[in-house]
Amino acid sequence: MSEIMISLKNISKTYTSMGDEVQALRSVSFDIFKGESVSVMGHSGSGKSTMLSIIGALNPPTSGIIEIDGIDLYKLSAEKRADFRREYLGFVFQQFQLIPYLTAIENVMLPLTTTKRSNKEKREMAAEVLKRVGLEKKMNRLPNQLSGGEQERVAIARAIVNEPPLILADEPTGSLDTKTGDEIMELFQELNEDGLTVLMVTHNPDNVRYLKRTIMMKDGILFQDQDGLVKPIVTKKV
Amino acid sequence: MQLYNIIINNLLRRKAKMIFVLIGLSIGIATVVSVYGIVETMKVEMTRQVSEFGVNVVLTPDAGGLTFSYGGITLPEIMYDVESLTEEDVDIVRELPSNDMIKVISPKLLGTGMVKENKVIIVGANPQEEFLIKPWLRLSDENSEDTIVKDASTEEKPKDIDENSGDKKMDFESIDLARQNLEDLNLQDNQVIVGYEFATGLNIKTGDILNIYDKEFEVYGTLMESGSVEDKQILMNLNSAQEAFGRPGEITVIEMAVDYFGGSEETLLSEISNELPHAKVTSLRQESLRRDEVLVRLVRFGVTISIIILLVGMLVVALTMSNSVRERTREIGIFRAIGFRQYHIIKMVMMEGLIISIIGGIIGYVGGIIMARYAGPFISGMEIIVPWRVDLLFISIALAVAIGVVSSIYPAYQAVKQDPAESLRFI
Repeated sequence: MSEIMISLKNISKTYTSMGDEVQALRSVSFDIFKGESVSVMGHSGSGKSTMLSIIGALNPPTSGIIEIDGIDLYKLSAEKRADFRREYLGFVFQQFQLIPYLTAIENVMLPLTTTKRSNKEKREMAAEVLKRVGLEKKMNRLPNQLSGGEQERVAIARAIVNEPPLILADEPTGSLDTKTGDEIMELFQELNEDGLTVLMVTHNPDNVRYLKRTIMMKDGILFQDQDGLVKPIVTKKV
Repeated sequence: MQLYNIIINNLLRRKAKMIFVLIGLSIGIATVVSVYGIVETMKVEMTRQVSEFGVNVVLTPDAGGLTFSYGGITLPEIMYDVESLTEEDVDIVRELPSNDMIKVISPKLLGTGMVKENKVIIVGANPQEEFLIKPWLRLSDENSEDTIVKDASTEEKPKDIDENSGDKKMDFESIDLARQNLEDLNLQDNQVIVGYEFATGLNIKTGDILNIYDKEFEVYGTLMESGSVEDKQILMNLNSAQEAFGRPGEITVIEMAVDYFGGSEETLLSEISNELPHAKVTSLRQESLRRDEVLVRLVRFGVTISIIILLVGMLVVALTMSNSVRERTREIGIFRAIGFRQYHIIKMVMMEGLIISIIGGIIGYVGGIIMARYAGPFISGMEIIVPWRVDLLFISIALAVAIGVVSSIYPAYQAVKQDPAESLRFI
């Protein structure tokens, strides 16, 4: 775990809201190594989602440098950043964010849409990841025909279908009951054990158990990057 | 999974909006198609009528003189006794690149003479060509060559135009059928054919001898009454007239029967004008089209209405697409987050507009033609049936696509300028 996957150096982000200047991030610096699973915790407005969007190549910082796998994200053009997201990142959004008029397998195939793979290959890849998340029998259902947990699994399948090295998750269990939330967290843990780096923004302290490291944020400041203090590294929940 | 799968699924999901846009677009296209269809069909019908008339292109020297008219349409003045065309000009016309369109050429020399102390217009021409180009000319029954006299009621009319095909052709052969024995109409140089009114007024009969320009001519026959200018004329061979008038090689007017459906009229007229700069070219079709006020008004009205409706259609498409993009803000944010380029988003929005446009173009075409078929005869006052035309279908689709694409530009721009982080409420 010596290679750095994500490197943030003095990242600041300021934006204007209702005429007021808001400083969402204040000179945040940290590294995340390949194969780590990291939770980012903090209250609403602490800047954790802003940080996730900056790491996700969606939101340029006001100042500072962010590198993923040695690539300075915001030196890339907007279109190159789109390519980067497709190749390097798997997003799991709040409330699943599935496309309502596409079936489960079509939703999973979305990141492959703009690649040059054949339709058959795309379908096979999507079917395989759906099988991995336990939805092989429901792949032709529309999102509204799936439960919340199943929709979350589809969202995770969509995030990993392109085999990205980094998963970014924003409150993935926020809309789920405890049992289903635990199942989803186990799935993230499995993915991490398979070698994927996971960075998850969460409110839920229970989720921390499944991740190896926790970062705390408050008012745009990284005030704690404590390995083992908030929660020790846990093994898979039994 | 391709982009078009997403596009089609999205369109199917938003059926009501798609139908709304389609209706707006189709009405615009249908209006244009119906107006254009009616106008074009009117032009074709008028062309057919002019074609049936026989003479439809007239070449005269580019100067004023004697007024010449056909069927109530006054042509520019014909110059004679001052300046003329020549037989060389006739040869030039016969060798034009577009000469395939010219079915009959009838050069003639016009002059006046005194016959039985009455002034008369004398026409020197090839009688066969003259009869061919003027289907209404008939020799009267008293003539011995009654094989070339046909009763109008038994005459085979030119075939009707195939209403369902855009490829309309003037049927010269059917005109020829009425003149199948024209070969027998061979005037000797000392023979003339006398117009009905002049013959009856002076009691001239077949076989009579007339003195014209101090030369004796035998009356080959007299014309049946046609109500045209030929009733007051005397027809003789061209060379006889040239000799009688002392104007060898000269031509006053070249009349032609042109098959408008055999090529481009504009090209032919342009070739004539280029080769014979000293001649004035008059096309009956152009004249009649120019003079038809109904047509002119219809075109103006149609163009105005079409522009307004197309602009409204464009607005409807643009507003609906723009609204659709706004509704899909989050969706577009997801697409961008998972690696869709701006180009892919533009392509999706534009393709949606394109698909709707193509369907709108087809529906508009069908609706427009149906509308034109019902409204055409009423609007034009002519017995017309607007045909189903493939070229018009393509024009409709092209027009609809142009509207769709132009209308989708702003919504596509809106979609692309969205901040994906904001769309996903990351900040």
